[in-house]
Amino acid sequence: MKKIILCAACALFLFPAIAQAATPKVTEVTSRSGIKAWLVEDHTLPLISLRFAFRGGVEFDPADKQGLAVLATSLLTQGAGPYDDKAFQDRLSSRSIQMEIGASRDEISGEVKTLTREKKEAFRLLALALTRPRFDQEAFDRAVRQQLTAQKMQKAKADWQGRYALYRAVFGEHPYGYRSLGTPQSVAQITREEAKAFIHDHMAKDRLMVAVVGAITPKEVSDALDSTFGGLPAQGAVDTLAPVVWPKETASILVKREGTQTDIHFALPMLRRDDPDWYAAEIANYILGGGGFISRLMKQVRAQEGLTYGISTGLAPMDKGSMLAGSLSADNDKAGKAWAMVRDVWQGFYDGGVSEAEVQAAKDYLTGALPLSLTSTDALASVLLAMQQEKLGKDYLDTRKASLEAVTLADVQRVIVAWFDPAQLSVSFVGEPEAVSITETHNMILE
Amino acid sequence: MRHYIGSLVLASFCAVFLSLSGVPAQAAVFHPETYTLANGMQVVIVKNRLSAAVAQMVWIKTGAADDPAGHSGLAHYLEHMMFKGTATLPTGGFSALIAAQGGEENAFTTHDTTAYHEVIAADRLGLVMALEADRLHALRFAPDEAKSELAVVMSERQERTDNEPQGIFWEKMAAALYGAHPYGRPVIGWQNEIASITPDDARAFYRQAYAPDNAILVVSGNVETQDVLRLASGTFGRLASAGDVAPRKVKPLRFAPASPKPQKVEMHDPRVTQPIWVRQILLPQVKADSRLSFALDVLSEILSSGEVGLLHRHFVMEKQTASAMAASYDSVRRGPVSFSLTAVPAPQADPHKLEKEIDVYLQALAKRGFSAAEIGAAQRRLEDAAIFARDRLMAPAQILGEALAVGQTMSSVEDWPDHIRAVTPADVSIALRTLLASPHAVTGLLAPAKGASE
Repeated sequence: MKKIILCAACALFLFPAIAQAATPKVTEVTSRSGIKAWLVEDHTLPLISLRFAFRGGVEFDPADKQGLAVLATSLLTQGAGPYDDKAFQDRLSSRSIQMEIGASRDEISGEVKTLTREKKEAFRLLALALTRPRFDQEAFDRAVRQQLTAQKMQKAKADWQGRYALYRAVFGEHPYGYRSLGTPQSVAQITREEAKAFIHDHMAKDRLMVAVVGAITPKEVSDALDSTFGGLPAQGAVDTLAPVVWPKETASILVKREGTQTDIHFALPMLRRDDPDWYAAEIANYILGGGGFISRLMKQVRAQEGLTYGISTGLAPMDKGSMLAGSLSADNDKAGKAWAMVRDVWQGFYDGGVSEAEVQAAKDYLTGALPLSLTSTDALASVLLAMQQEKLGKDYLDTRKASLEAVTLADVQRVIVAWFDPAQLSVSFVGEPEAVSITETHNMILE
Repeated sequence: MRHYIGSLVLASFCAVFLSLSGVPAQAAVFHPETYTLANGMQVVIVKNRLSAAVAQMVWIKTGAADDPAGHSGLAHYLEHMMFKGTATLPTGGFSALIAAQGGEENAFTTHDTTAYHEVIAADRLGLVMALEADRLHALRFAPDEAKSELAVVMSERQERTDNEPQGIFWEKMAAALYGAHPYGRPVIGWQNEIASITPDDARAFYRQAYAPDNAILVVSGNVETQDVLRLASGTFGRLASAGDVAPRKVKPLRFAPASPKPQKVEMHDPRVTQPIWVRQILLPQVKADSRLSFALDVLSEILSSGEVGLLHRHFVMEKQTASAMAASYDSVRRGPVSFSLTAVPAPQADPHKLEKEIDVYLQALAKRGFSAAEIGAAQRRLEDAAIFARDRLMAPAQILGEALAVGQTMSSVEDWPDHIRAVTPADVSIALRTLLASPHAVTGLLAPAKGASE
């Protein structure tokens, strides 16, 4: 340990006198019609990245129409206003405008990234995509074909099988357990009218969030907000979705799959993002499995025993109930041993808690790593959007450090006891694992 | 963050579309500065004021293609061992020190090179330089750690290759395409050969390849030249060279099989649910910095630029026999340049029939040639893409570092847009005809088990 300190000291000695750049300044722009965006104005490059999200996404799929949100949003850039699919894509491409819109569990979101010279056309085309999508039959049929193909590709992946089996088990009939791409049957039932209606019902101004980064002034942003989003409905369908209720009994599921390795996925419920203990949970997760090569799980299961190539855990804040999820892979004949070791390390973490030094190391990383997530205009725009999604303040980039620093060892211990009990872990195995105990065997024959 | 699960669903599908955007770089776009330390180590600096971070990459001009016969996987295993202890730092100390400063680190091995990279707040560049320089010369090969890391690598191979039909498929494709050429062996190695690697093998390889005159340092970020040079001299500059202050030459990997002819690889596996069709073509006669090579860049853009590419328009939109199509061209290698075509057949489409249609289409395209408008649109997109590339902290470190590490010049990157602009429709027609005439081609199909219901 002494050597580490020595080396750290000599490295510190080498630090150049580079002034640490301040965190980007976030301002809120409100358009004349009242649409808001968070902006970081930066003229370093002739680029603009605009990201937006509407609260609510795949979770609004009807049970028998799974795949609707993904299908409907994929059609927005396949023809809008006076342009059919080809003409719309030609206009984007000939001006190097990048536009993507899609749906995930809790949101419909998208981005337009453009050179400043094309900003007018970029915002105009985005307005058309959002407010006047065509849903032409030919484009609709093609999107269905592509989604069926994507389903097939996804279904073959051990990783997806493991997640799907686990989420079905813990989320049950709640839409969080849905297949975002749907099944062949569910997608076949979706009509163009339903896709259109989904967009109309869920892309409304009352659930819109916008982030803009790049070479653009507040005045220009204000104008763009009105011209791009002004034509959307004022209010969308009411969100009546209930919070997730995890089952009392934990699940341990086997999905048989031929191969040499077993994919292991695990999860337990976690506190909400707006809980005051969230930062303590971030620190606890970092120590247990979030901290790359230096997490307890990685050190023990990979470095000490060589049982896996990698293991990691992460906090997944979600609107209707957060979770902590993680995964690893191990050879079939070592899968039981690897999972037992994960549980052992976890139990030690839960029973024995963590040290002051570990908490400090986690704080050092989590506070120091912020600049790493702000290295491009679109990365910064994503962070600005996530800050709005999680209802954090505009000053979050400045306050995050203090929030983490304020966490005490006792806070972390309390959160570990409340939220990190390994007895709450549900798990799925995909493969032919030896020496694991299971409560349910799925033969994953999905249509 | 929030997209932890939701975004996974389309990732594999999108990969087909995304893989074609390439890594273009425009004249004087990155504005690199280059220096050579007294021990022969090349230093490249790119200033990027977008954030408070810096990216450091150290490229070793040696990779898996240099694994000794019977020891495939050695370069990659050594890359793993580089995260173990050194003479002054215990195992885990490297990652812990970087993490304590909020930094991130990783590494990768290709056939041509081995690269180590860190991203960290710019005022902590000195730390990652000191740490990289330390492990470049003072790596310890503790027997117990060497053994457990061998198990990790074997597990990595199982996870990435043996357990996934696609992993096995790509190995078969490479073996058919390259034969005895070093690219025909997997970077990670054959499992039985990985098992036989000893700490002595790794140490010998390390001593031979990990020298300053065989390495390139690229720093991209919010830094000043004099700071970078001062820090580099105080860290990397202290490493002993092999005695020669001129940087070591990159070893080219020539390719000349005895009697080439197009080959087929067809693999069926019950775990596969969606067929994938691929063709890989080598053009050993094409030099990376030649007019023909730049024409191949433009050809690849015309064929597969997102939803306006000719392949997408013809097969996905009009014929409706594919759900996705892509083409890509790779000229940044020590070995022969390579062009590939990928198709994901539409539901109910017969992949063999699709293959015939692709052949017919490409032959017809070679006959019809290309219009000035088609070429112009592709050229403009490629030039614009270079501006977008500047919006990524790692991009210059990756693009410049890789080009130099495989023996290409700085101008091959910086003057690339000028060369692209000079390409004519006739050049692109020649490029396509050259491609279609190459005997070094392998066509592969990965499909569900025969007789399996669709």
